[in-house]
Amino acid sequence: MLAFIARRLLLAIPTLFGVLVVAFLLLYIAPGDPVTAMIGERADAETIARLRKELRLDDPVPQRFAHYVGGVVRGDLGRSYITNRPIRNDIVERFPKTLQLAGAAMLLASIIGISLGVLSARNPGGWADRLALGVAYLGISFPVYWVGLLLILLFAVTLHWLPPSGYGGLRYLLLPALALGMRSIAFLARMTRSAMLESLAADYVRTARAKGVRESVVTMRHALRNAMIPIITVLGLDFGAYLTGSILTETIFSWPGLGRYVVNAIARRDLPAIQGSVLFLSAIFVLVNLLTDLAYAKTDPRVAFR
Amino acid sequence: MRRLLLIPMLAAVACRGGDTSSDRRTLVDSRDNYDPRSLDPALSTDVPTGRAVAYLFDGLTQFTPDARVQPALAEQWEVSPNGLTYTFHLRHGVTFHDGSPFTAKDVVHSFTRALDPATHGGRAEPLRPIHGAAEFAAGKATTVAGLAMMDEYTVAITLDEPLATFPKLLAMPVAAIVPAATPANFGERPVGTGPWKLAEWKHDDYLLFARNDAYWGGHPTADSLRARIIAEPSTAVAEFESGSVDVLQIPAGETSTWTEDENRTPLLSSVPALQLVYIGINTTRGPLQDVRVRQAINYAIDANAILKTLVSGRGRRAAGVIPPTLAGADTLRAPYPYDTTRARALLAAAGHASGIDVELWTTSNPVYVRIAETVQGYLGAVGIRTKIMQRESAASREAARKGQTDMIIKDWYADYPDAENFLYPLLHSANKGVGGNVSFFQDPEFDRVVSAARREQDEVKRNGMYREADSVAFTQAPMVFLYFYNDLYAVQKWVKGFQPPVIFNGQRWTTVGISRTAP
Repeated sequence: MLAFIARRLLLAIPTLFGVLVVAFLLLYIAPGDPVTAMIGERADAETIARLRKELRLDDPVPQRFAHYVGGVVRGDLGRSYITNRPIRNDIVERFPKTLQLAGAAMLLASIIGISLGVLSARNPGGWADRLALGVAYLGISFPVYWVGLLLILLFAVTLHWLPPSGYGGLRYLLLPALALGMRSIAFLARMTRSAMLESLAADYVRTARAKGVRESVVTMRHALRNAMIPIITVLGLDFGAYLTGSILTETIFSWPGLGRYVVNAIARRDLPAIQGSVLFLSAIFVLVNLLTDLAYAKTDPRVAFR
Repeated sequence: MRRLLLIPMLAAVACRGGDTSSDRRTLVDSRDNYDPRSLDPALSTDVPTGRAVAYLFDGLTQFTPDARVQPALAEQWEVSPNGLTYTFHLRHGVTFHDGSPFTAKDVVHSFTRALDPATHGGRAEPLRPIHGAAEFAAGKATTVAGLAMMDEYTVAITLDEPLATFPKLLAMPVAAIVPAATPANFGERPVGTGPWKLAEWKHDDYLLFARNDAYWGGHPTADSLRARIIAEPSTAVAEFESGSVDVLQIPAGETSTWTEDENRTPLLSSVPALQLVYIGINTTRGPLQDVRVRQAINYAIDANAILKTLVSGRGRRAAGVIPPTLAGADTLRAPYPYDTTRARALLAAAGHASGIDVELWTTSNPVYVRIAETVQGYLGAVGIRTKIMQRESAASREAARKGQTDMIIKDWYADYPDAENFLYPLLHSANKGVGGNVSFFQDPEFDRVVSAARREQDEVKRNGMYREADSVAFTQAPMVFLYFYNDLYAVQKWVKGFQPPVIFNGQRWTTVGISRTAP
């Protein structure tokens, strides 16, 4: 297993290098001069020339790329053009908040989504099944910003149960986590339902029932465990997506995470900040995929590390 | 199984009690929609930074909420007869937040620091008029020649040429006074003389300011001020409605839901912002070089309808570039009327009876996109075929500066309350391109009058010149004069003494209080 992990990590290096090249080059194709974005509405040509020189913007591209890669290898992602703060500090400050939000969303999604899926599979066509279907439709059809605003209106403005937005304890976490996890709840409910229906009809379930095993044990231990593989796939993909793409949720709920940081960096043409975050988020995505694969093996003994 | 479903519900209910809103000795602002870039005045180019700098620091002068300039760290000043030298007499007994005393040395140091290339500032535009500033910034001199400390409480500043607006420039954030010691993390841990001290800065979340009990102007009424950073305007509205923020700037798209609701109108106050929304016409490109074509474009567009329907009437039609609230504006000048017949006639007279093709650029700002689409319709009706080029702001700004845009929808928000801040950057030939004149307008008469006005110390004469220059610009039509925008604020009924500022750094919250009825 260790050899498997080591090999996967080594394979990640060319992937990340590719990301680095693309992230670096794309920003040269994109219009919008970082210095223009830095100095605001008015400037003079001398100041612009001086800043371009300071930021090495006029150096040849290969030279700048080499300089950047040299920094990355040493763990230095450079300094923000706009704030002059080290990018690494900015990421270290914000990523835990994004992780917290993504984790909470996944937790909510697993609890609600899998429960709904199991309940609907136990009695297809019953009330739980119809409820789960309704939730799934809503979760898949409504975009996250719409769900987010509705949640704020209901729970914060009308009911005054929770604060509308901001960062803090559990009270601040619930609404954004629910908004973010909505899509996964929907997917998981449907995925769990079909996987459960399949495994509930399997021979081993019939055998277990024939042995006189209690129904709850049959559902949880025999059927659900065998239905887990597709569920883990959805969880893994969504978690990776949440870590890298909770931009809308973070914006709507004023959550000070990495998503908003990236959006601001793009709007202000803060090249080092964009490059650093893209690189970091890609590394996270690779890592989450690796963890997902490890989870397969943990759940299904037939999956071997190869 | 059912227990699993109950957990989130229980959690939601459990959270209902607990800590409700914070201590109501704290004022809460919701206007910042992105994190300030730094709290170092030398790096200030954006509005959130400018506001925070106004809380933490003082300039030699400062703006009131209604945009008058008044003495701050300078108690008074006089100008030499030739208009070149300003002598500032500084306030005695002022201390920085760290207890060190404020003296003339700090003024010289602050301005030198802001101009110093090593500060990585590069935004010291307001200090550029000082004699020797350019040489120093370019590394050709070790000191700024025009800065002189006369004694501990007197500073003499000599300019390259007379500039009547200079005292106003000194109220801008970049000219704020910092102490002699500015460590590397000064932008995170600022020390000033202002009415508020920085207590906490959580990036992308909030800034917390604590009142400075030793403030020379009398300490603020409230204990602290929390500037929340709320990226999404709809969220800010929800925060206001749930009572957790005290002041809200109402987004343009939500105007009517506030102005047409009887429960909400008592909370509203409107203030004319020093903001011009216009369509810059590049006067060097193709048929647009002809003044008749530019006038035709102005006649062809029903700007009243745009103001009324697309911005809910929040503003005043522009008849020139000077906002009507500023001295020098000709409030009697009538804007271009909507007159398609005249537009067609002017086009025909210019030899374009069969119409012309233009590109109209806009950012992705939804209001401006709608304006662009509307303008496209109006222009099409008189034979001007318009292609809309929508690019995000950095890209469209760059294209405009390089002179690649025929027409571009833009706004200009004053840095300081003076007509010169509209005429000079937007239309003087010295500012073509990056300087702000994206019309690439060059008119000798206009340039001459504006340049003379900048030097003129006599206010009455100066205002007359402003009016004259504005009239030239109006006739030459280097832009479509759309409207001056109004800011609309909602202020909670428990907040006392908040006056919406005309200029972005004009409200320092020092006299704003919270009544006992606050939740």
